[in-house]
Amino acid sequence: MKSCLVIGKPNAGKTAFVLAFAAHVGLTSISVRAIAPDGAVVTRTLALADAGRDLVAPSPHKTTCLQSLEIALPVGKTRQTCELLDSTGLSERIHESDAVRRGMAQTLRSLRGAAVVLHLIDASRADRAGAVEALTDLDREIAAYAGGRTAYAILASKMDLPGAGRGLQLIRQTFPRQRVIPISAVKGWGMKEVRAFVVRAI
Amino acid sequence: MAVGPLRPTSSAEIYELLERGEISVSQALGLFAQVEGEPPPAPRPQPAPRQTGAVAVRPECEPGDSGRAEEVLRELDQLVGLTEVKSLVHEIRAYIEIQRRRQRENLLAEPMALHMVFSGNPGTGKTTVARLLARLFKELGVLQKGHLVEVERADLVGEYIGHTAQKTREQIRRALGGILFVDEAYSLGRGGEKDFGREAIDTLVRAMEENRDNLVIILAGYQREMRQFMQLNPGLKSRFPIQLAFRDFTLDELMLIADQMLQKRQYRLCDDARFELAAQLKARLAAGDDSAGNARLVRNLVERAVRRQAVRLVGQRDLRREDLVLITRDDIAAAASGCGL
Repeated sequence: MKSCLVIGKPNAGKTAFVLAFAAHVGLTSISVRAIAPDGAVVTRTLALADAGRDLVAPSPHKTTCLQSLEIALPVGKTRQTCELLDSTGLSERIHESDAVRRGMAQTLRSLRGAAVVLHLIDASRADRAGAVEALTDLDREIAAYAGGRTAYAILASKMDLPGAGRGLQLIRQTFPRQRVIPISAVKGWGMKEVRAFVVRAI
Repeated sequence: MAVGPLRPTSSAEIYELLERGEISVSQALGLFAQVEGEPPPAPRPQPAPRQTGAVAVRPECEPGDSGRAEEVLRELDQLVGLTEVKSLVHEIRAYIEIQRRRQRENLLAEPMALHMVFSGNPGTGKTTVARLLARLFKELGVLQKGHLVEVERADLVGEYIGHTAQKTREQIRRALGGILFVDEAYSLGRGGEKDFGREAIDTLVRAMEENRDNLVIILAGYQREMRQFMQLNPGLKSRFPIQLAFRDFTLDELMLIADQMLQKRQYRLCDDARFELAAQLKARLAAGDDSAGNARLVRNLVERAVRRQAVRLVGQRDLRREDLVLITRDDIAAAASGCGL
């Protein structure tokens, strides 16, 4: 099974995107396998409506391990399952918590095996220098690393928030050679484009 | 935090540094680029035409560091003799590399049939080369694990009908992701129609087709017997396209092997001893039996000589450093008589 890794800064909206995407492809309940960095796996089945409350928080580093869920995408006449991997946010500085650091290492590890990499950048805060979510060198490095080796797209998230237009422009300017898809997990914008991109890549 | 002195050599080390909080994510990404060289663009999935008994380049399997592949090749090149084998291994390596690059350019990449037949006398380096190949294939991304499973007839052939397939499949399962090395493979073809060896061969062939991208099988055995075996089973010949002949070592090569072995253990032959060893090996070569041109014989001889030297020295007082290193003519002669020379 091909895996599709969702990667980005903490609080870029990775988990929210994963859930919105699951809803878009028609799932009503999801079964999330949380894979701890030491390999332990816990599977939880959640109704999609509850999942948002359980897995997403307004503060950074809610997700500290890989969360994997299988989704079936229509490819031609058949459906192909792929594994959507939600990962720990990557931050610039060395984080003080062991769990977060291990989570980040795990994210990088799966970065090397992923068939599709979706890189989330918070468009609403991309131009706010100093914010955790702001566009920085780390995003450039991720793009440089993943951009060459796999199917890679940048998702400009939180497009429904004010200021996102400017952020999107900045992202497009910074990564002229990458594909940028504006999305909003809350409003469901851009999910069709992401689906088309993933389907083509797997 | 100083990154300068940090020189991780593998990605595993980078993850560890990251987990311990010694480097940041951006530093880790930078280090990856160092370890891997240029990050290779991913090959696009493409409908590769599949062929019987062929191992496809695994696009999902990461090619390891090409530096480590070089290291394996260097190790191979350090082996004494084996000129043809070495050049063929280099050929295979180049072929795999080019197929991968073709795949990246979306050119038709032929799936590779990497199953092999090794023929040669015992002790001529078949297992050693197989082990190196397994590692090489792993580094090149052809095999997942790169281990070597050595089996012989008794491991494959069962005692009653149906038992053989079961036993053979079990060994194949162990070998998945690596190389299955069937020693004295010709013995599977002996014993006529009723022999269970046939069933083992059939099971192996089936397994080659089922696991074509994750298993390499090497059949090994004496030259003459292997040739006969392959002739009797015409289906096998096309499925094992790579044939490697392991020649007996020449006298010079054997002497070189002995020197290398002794050097590794920090011993040295004195001139008389060297002469004696050469004479002993020559006599053996002239007699022309199977184990004559054979590295294992040399190793046994050397190990025995080392023990004889120990016996000779243990009673003596005030030994010089030189005495502890030197192997004399008597040591060799005693060792040779013990080895049946």
